[in-house]
Amino acid sequence: MSFVPGQPVTAVVQRIEIQKLRQGNNLILGFSIGGGIDQDPGQNPFSEDKTDKGIYVTRITPGGPADVAGLMMGDKIMQVNGWDMTMVTHDKARKRLTKKNEDVVRLLVTRKSLEEAVKHSMGTYHKQ
Amino acid sequence: MEINGEISDTDSGIILHSGSDSPTTHTKDVTTHTRAMKVKHQDLRDRLEICILELKKLCIREAELTGRLSEDYPLLPGEKPPQIRRRIGAAFKLDEQNIPHGAEESELSFVDAELALQMKIYEAARKLCEEEHLSKAVRKSRLQQCKREEKKLKQLQETSFQLRLEHGRSSPLPAFNITQQDLGTSDDSSLSDSVVQDEEVTSQSSQPSSGLPYPVETDPPQPPPASSHSSVDGSYMSPSVAKQSLQLNLPQSPLASLDSKLSSDSSPLYDLPPIQHTPWTESSLDQPYQKNKKSRSSSKTSSPAKSELLPPLEACLAQAGLPLQLSHLRLSRTQSSSTPSTPEMRVHRQLSLRLSSPESSFDKDRGRTRGPRRRLTEYAITLPQTPSPPVNFGNHANSEDSNSEHSFTSYNSSPCQESPCDLPKYQSAFPISSPVGSYGPQAFSPAGFYHNPRHLPSPSTKNTYYNKEMVYPPDMDMSPSYFHQQAPCSPNRYEYWYKDTPVPHQRSQRPLPPDVRLTPPAQWDHPQYRSNCLPRQVVNEQLKSWHRRSQLKAPRSRSLDRQGAVRMKNVSPREAPCYPNQKYHDQINQRAALQRAAEGVQGHWVVDDGTHYMSQV
Repeated sequence: MSFVPGQPVTAVVQRIEIQKLRQGNNLILGFSIGGGIDQDPGQNPFSEDKTDKGIYVTRITPGGPADVAGLMMGDKIMQVNGWDMTMVTHDKARKRLTKKNEDVVRLLVTRKSLEEAVKHSMGTYHKQ
Repeated sequence: MEINGEISDTDSGIILHSGSDSPTTHTKDVTTHTRAMKVKHQDLRDRLEICILELKKLCIREAELTGRLSEDYPLLPGEKPPQIRRRIGAAFKLDEQNIPHGAEESELSFVDAELALQMKIYEAARKLCEEEHLSKAVRKSRLQQCKREEKKLKQLQETSFQLRLEHGRSSPLPAFNITQQDLGTSDDSSLSDSVVQDEEVTSQSSQPSSGLPYPVETDPPQPPPASSHSSVDGSYMSPSVAKQSLQLNLPQSPLASLDSKLSSDSSPLYDLPPIQHTPWTESSLDQPYQKNKKSRSSSKTSSPAKSELLPPLEACLAQAGLPLQLSHLRLSRTQSSSTPSTPEMRVHRQLSLRLSSPESSFDKDRGRTRGPRRRLTEYAITLPQTPSPPVNFGNHANSEDSNSEHSFTSYNSSPCQESPCDLPKYQSAFPISSPVGSYGPQAFSPAGFYHNPRHLPSPSTKNTYYNKEMVYPPDMDMSPSYFHQQAPCSPNRYEYWYKDTPVPHQRSQRPLPPDVRLTPPAQWDHPQYRSNCLPRQVVNEQLKSWHRRSQLKAPRSRSLDRQGAVRMKNVSPREAPCYPNQKYHDQINQRAALQRAAEGVQGHWVVDDGTHYMSQV
């Protein structure tokens, strides 16, 4: 998941669709994010590459919309509704995720286990 | 040049062999070719010479940058590699502001200039220390040098601070801040500088013996002295002399540990990256962006931020000295990004407070600011955790209404309230207590109780307070240590706190005063309870003010302390008058109700985050 600035990023991503939960005037996503290009990436407990300034899922509310949708703690968010999330500030990411007029957010996320799973399956496939 | 001549001689032979003209042809047509060959030979020789010279230059330049002589350096068999001294960007610019101008030549400005310079010197020395590939002896001497500079720097800071205190605050910005910014740029430019001055460099390098042990140190002083010289009176001899004398005058700190500590503290400051990273934080997405609604940001995440940001806050306060408004803006801006975390805390606290006076009529309250005093004693008696209020009261009677400003901080200090007798204690309590506060509701709740009153005080009183505050911080900003700044403020905060407390009673006249007092502790134990009982109005106010502030948008700070302090300011003077509009309140009430309902339903959320005392909606 590490990348070289200026180079295209290749990652195995999973598409996740989160149906926001509406509670009163509030839309609930049920997870927390951390990171962004304006935050110190070295403190990110989830990233492999400590220079990665991406947006990471830091917390999932059990039973919440994100949990239901299959989002997992430690996921790196690549896109939100088509918007790039690998080079955004923390607040920008928040904005994108919490838009009031959108009841659904579609995320592209990547995580280590995903990549491994794909690799694994590819390997077996080739063997056959 | 002599060297080059030799080189070219030996080299030329080689070249000839490998050259286009093979020896065979040479021998064949001696007559026709000798002449041409000789000319060509000479020509090649010259070119080789030039090339070697160029190579040498390049190698030396490289060595200046890397600190190591490249292996490509053309060496004759007997020749020794030149001594290369790594060049560190010595050419930096001092900020104009730091250079005393003829107009205002005062001791202070002089010291400031000196301080700015010393800062760079120290920084350079520090960098020299960190260099690799040093022999032990050199490293040791550099370390010593670094420490020396550090000491000087400290002393200068101290004197400057003292002077500032004496003079009151004359210049808007302390040299300290300015230089910090400068350091970053000068560092960056160092590379380019050295390149630009390559002519100079090579000449320097060719005579190794002349090199000064600490090039950086010696170089930088030159520019500033010139300027300072002109401005300061003629008696001023030379910067170095002055520095020495300064040093002598001031007591040297014998503690090495202190020094080391300082260095560790200061280094991050000096090395500010162009883009500053805020500490890594997470934010819950369950609150609308920039909406004041309830938010539950984890106290866990915010706590680290808080500790890091604290000093900046102080600086902010200090700098804000000029207009009150300014300080407000600044503070409010800082918190905007962290919208979620602050409002929440606020709300809870408020709730606890308001219990006493469920229907707070703000209009009434405004008039009552004075009331608190007489009730103080009462108050103290009822609440076990309150320290001896009378004492505090006496100290800072005049700053009665100011509490609103610092109320937040006072929260943090609440754990330490038991022994509030002496100032020193407060100071120490501060840093320690703040982290504690972030952990859980317990720390805050008692404080929160006290807080309510802050909205009530009449605007006019507030203003007076502000003025006072303005005076304080400016003086403080030069203070080298955290404690200095805090010392003056903390007592005040403490005090405010107590003063405010009485207000609730007044308000609660109709309800049940005694109950009020008792309630807070109970809530303390049960955060949930607290939230349920919130008086809407309080919440509403909070939210509203919060909302407003957040719209001002600005740098982010997640430090709880800061936000708290900020909020108080904003709320009291401006918001208070606006309360009457009931509409808004109602809306918020609804929300609050929803929120509460949500809490009830999803109680597990609250439970999950052990560290969050806030509940998620």
